[in-house]
Amino acid sequence: MGTPEPVLAGVGNTILVLSGKGGVGKSTAAVQLAATLRAKGHRVGVLDVDLCGPSIPRMLGVEGRDVLTTPEGKWVPVSVDEEERLKVLSVAFFLDSKNDAVIWRGPKKNAMIKQLLTSVVWNVDYLIIDTPPGTSDEHISVMENIRQAPVLGAVLVTTPQMVAVDDVTRELTFCRRTGISILGIIENMSGFVCPTCSECSNILASGGGEQLAEKAKVTFLGRIPIDPTLSRCTEEGLNYIDKFANSPICQIYHSIITKLTRQTDEEMEVEK
Amino acid sequence: MSAAARDLEDMVEECPADSNEAGWAGVCQGCPGKELCLSQGSQPDPEQQVIDTRLGAIRHKVLVLSGKGGVGKSTMAVLLAQILAGEGQRVGLLDVDVCGPSIPHLLGVEDQPVLDSQWGWQPVVSPLGKIKTLSVGSLLSSQSQAVVWKGPRKTALIRRMIKDTLWGRLDTLVVDTPPGTSDEHLTIVRLLATTRPSGAVILTSPQRLAAGVVSREIRFCQKMNVPVLGIIENMSGFCCPCCSEVSEVFPGGAGAHLAEKYRVPLLGAVPLDLGLAEAGVSCGWRDSPVAQAVRDMVAKIKEKL
Repeated sequence: MGTPEPVLAGVGNTILVLSGKGGVGKSTAAVQLAATLRAKGHRVGVLDVDLCGPSIPRMLGVEGRDVLTTPEGKWVPVSVDEEERLKVLSVAFFLDSKNDAVIWRGPKKNAMIKQLLTSVVWNVDYLIIDTPPGTSDEHISVMENIRQAPVLGAVLVTTPQMVAVDDVTRELTFCRRTGISILGIIENMSGFVCPTCSECSNILASGGGEQLAEKAKVTFLGRIPIDPTLSRCTEEGLNYIDKFANSPICQIYHSIITKLTRQTDEEMEVEK
Repeated sequence: MSAAARDLEDMVEECPADSNEAGWAGVCQGCPGKELCLSQGSQPDPEQQVIDTRLGAIRHKVLVLSGKGGVGKSTMAVLLAQILAGEGQRVGLLDVDVCGPSIPHLLGVEDQPVLDSQWGWQPVVSPLGKIKTLSVGSLLSSQSQAVVWKGPRKTALIRRMIKDTLWGRLDTLVVDTPPGTSDEHLTIVRLLATTRPSGAVILTSPQRLAAGVVSREIRFCQKMNVPVLGIIENMSGFCCPCCSEVSEVFPGGAGAHLAEKYRVPLLGAVPLDLGLAEAGVSCGWRDSPVAQAVRDMVAKIKEKL
């Protein structure tokens, strides 16, 4: 086997975005977290390990770009902005057509994830890892491989319904078992403001995330309402955080990032 | 380009995992999944006969699929089962989502254990309309228990759920699946292959982003020879309970787009609804404005069986 390759070389700190439930907005949250970190002046990378349904490239508007390879055989992530402060790597870049299905069984997914974790030249302060729903091959592989890497912890995303909360509880158990620290819970799709009458309806019930956080004794990071503008931005690959810097959602993300990075910022201060 | 990167790109493009060459083809050399593909590949399955006997007693087998998570697969599977059962059919609902089973919660059978009788696992019967159901959720001792399983173990469990479950004679078996196109999907499709599944109902939400992921699922069905019965666009607008105005929550129109692109029927669009969000648990959906939309869709599905 030779010497093991270093995992996540050139990454300052790693944040995992997890959820047992699908479609709760993991990828959207991952992209907004990355964009917010970038707006705060950090260099950020996004790694999409959802092999069967990768959606990050589209959300960042870099669909169909090619991944370059260094002479040493490492992958160079695709840059989203000109200053190269937001970079991304996803299995979607290796697929020929964007509709190609990756029909892979577990062992093959594990091999791919190991590659994604070891052979990318990142050079970033923060790396956000976006995961598929569930607690299976992809998650086990990521956890097994990032043991030696600097990991800040995991952010769990849920929607307010009890069914989603059940699944996220399982994800919590998974985090505890694998020994990864939980940074907190985001409750996404929490309410919808009717554009006609401004009445806020809790389409998917409300408060599930906060209750879960309380019960599991983890930080509740914030509640994010459904916003068609955000939805449209992710569809078209636009940077919502930069475009709507004064929107309430943007402010929520800023407060979330402040909570997440407080610890590392303090450490940096001490070093200075 | 480096050898490693090239290898990987070859793997992505040429994986024969779903063909008869699984494990035998050139690209399989050196692939960590080779052994597994070989063991599940082209050789006839010694247990297939038992499985066929069990499945032969079930007239229609309908898969509920979506590449995307959280678009309402389980909700729609429960609605389909409830409506069919309400018409007097004998209905079963199999939940093959190993890591995130939500069917027990939706059908109100969370606390009922699965009994192991001498003829196999006895499916739990839901109080909401005599639906026989089996889910990993019913096999776990606690709701918060995480099933952290890798592929081969999930495959083995799904095989047991088909082979060792005493479904008896059923008119329709609805199969609810997890998001993606991986172990669970390959396993269930392969197990159903000899008794021919009636087809798959594909769910999507309106965003184009979802359409991208869902089109992979349609390609999966085409590759695996599973007929697509139609597409349902869920979460299509929201009817405000205050002013009754329907607003677009997720823009996109993905359902119609996919239906046209892949020439499959669009079964209908279901708006977001507070009553429906609690479907199964309270039956509150029966009076909601979306109930009719759902009934029409089920009628269309029945025509195709």
